[in-house]
Amino acid sequence: MSGDRGLPPLPDSRPLIVPDSAGLALAGWRCRDCAAPLALDGPWCPRCRGPLDTERFPLRGTVWASTILRVPLPGRPAPTALAYVDLDGGPRLLGHLAGPPAERLRAGTRVRGAGLSEHGDPLFEAIPEEAR
Amino acid sequence: MNVWVWGAGSSAFGKQPAESTASLVRLAVLEALRDAEVDQVDAVYVGTCFGEPGVAQRTLHRLGIAGLPITVLENACASSTHAFHEACAALEAGRHRQVLVVGVEHLTSRFTGALPVERRDHEGRAGLGLPALYAMSAAHYQDLFGLTDAELAAVSVKNHAHGVHNDRAQHRRAVTAEEVLASRMIADPLTLLQCCAISDGAAAVVVGDRRRGARDVPVLATAFGTGAAWGHDSPRVWGFDLVAQTAARAYQAAGVGIGDVDVLEVHDAFTIGEIVTLEALGMAPEGAGGRLALDGHTVLGGPQPVNPSGGLLSRGHPLGATGVAQIFEIVRQLRGQAGPRQVAGARIGLVETMGGGAGGVDGNACVVCLLGA
Ligand SMILES: [Zn+2]
Repeated sequence: MSGDRGLPPLPDSRPLIVPDSAGLALAGWRCRDCAAPLALDGPWCPRCRGPLDTERFPLRGTVWASTILRVPLPGRPAPTALAYVDLDGGPRLLGHLAGPPAERLRAGTRVRGAGLSEHGDPLFEAIPEEAR
Repeated sequence: MNVWVWGAGSSAFGKQPAESTASLVRLAVLEALRDAEVDQVDAVYVGTCFGEPGVAQRTLHRLGIAGLPITVLENACASSTHAFHEACAALEAGRHRQVLVVGVEHLTSRFTGALPVERRDHEGRAGLGLPALYAMSAAHYQDLFGLTDAELAAVSVKNHAHGVHNDRAQHRRAVTAEEVLASRMIADPLTLLQCCAISDGAAAVVVGDRRRGARDVPVLATAFGTGAAWGHDSPRVWGFDLVAQTAARAYQAAGVGIGDVDVLEVHDAFTIGEIVTLEALGMAPEGAGGRLALDGHTVLGGPQPVNPSGGLLSRGHPLGATGVAQIFEIVRQLRGQAGPRQVAGARIGLVETMGGGAGGVDGNACVVCLLGA
């Protein structure tokens, strides 16, 4: 946005995606008391105030919903394919779909990580039937 | 509760680059004061989302409304409904006798297209825009409940048809389902005519205690809530549970249920929003709300008309102005002053506003108000 010229860049507030033995993983947390998985850090579990342990959640899961956003946003040319993915045993994570944005993926589609986008967002792709 | 709406006013809604927030507020406040037949208030509550420091004082001092408590609130799309809620609570607590509530927003001077989610937010930073957030709710409903494009379009057709009769609405043009579905895709499955446009406007009401012999509209209850965590263990689309829980508290406080409500103004920023909201308000089971507009239940002339003003889709959605504009419409309806869009015999009206944009939260805030006999 034009009004930001001369201002320092904002800190990156997104969940942290890190290399993992099987590709990429979300570096998150899990509550030791209620087992809630978390993508964002905090002083304690926001649900039960229990203590947190770090946990790596591989980028593999199930699409909760997805869409193709066909209008641009500041710094984000259109179109972009977005999805909420429920990571296996992990938190719900907003990611992008790999490849040229064509069609959204239906809820329930099994997906796996496919690297990071040029903006640093996690990319997901559908897992082919035979690989499931 | 012992609170009545004494008067209501509103500017026109639409893209008004030549108007300032000050001129819009002035129009709305002057009409509300005249309608209430007062020229002074004890306190002012203001709702505005993107903010302009001093937005209320800048205008009101020129109307002789100065030197009194002025409270400005931000809660996304529910900013001025929240201001209304707080004004009613202050009256109920005996802190004031007559209070001015103002909602205002000038979006065309801030945005040119789709509203991004705040860039400091982790999901906003990841490229989420508000159309995409709502589109994913619509996509989820299509995949899980078989919600059809025709059902989504019916909401837009209905609200645009209603807005034709509202001389303050941004889009006073009827549209067909074919036009809705053929309009440009914004975020699958939502097309352009299923998304509210950016808009400028202001609305105001005066609320106070009981007056003798007045045509004031009783406030039965207002409820306000903010969202719980929304994530991997949330089976419902974001905002559903927040609206349902807030509505439940409003119904209980007012002693009425959804079956008693004659007319509603609800948050249809996108077609899917009205469908999900009506389910959360109890008008249809989860996943079945798509039938309400298509079957005529929520159309003017039907059993429970929803958004007779045209809603956000037709009247327009200047975020901070929306909540009080919804109350303005319900007040006109309950007084029988809604002209060609009058809901015959309306006795009880409901206003619902829900705003979002904080990632991982089930809606930033929701307010549900019940007004009437
Ligand atoms: Zn916990």
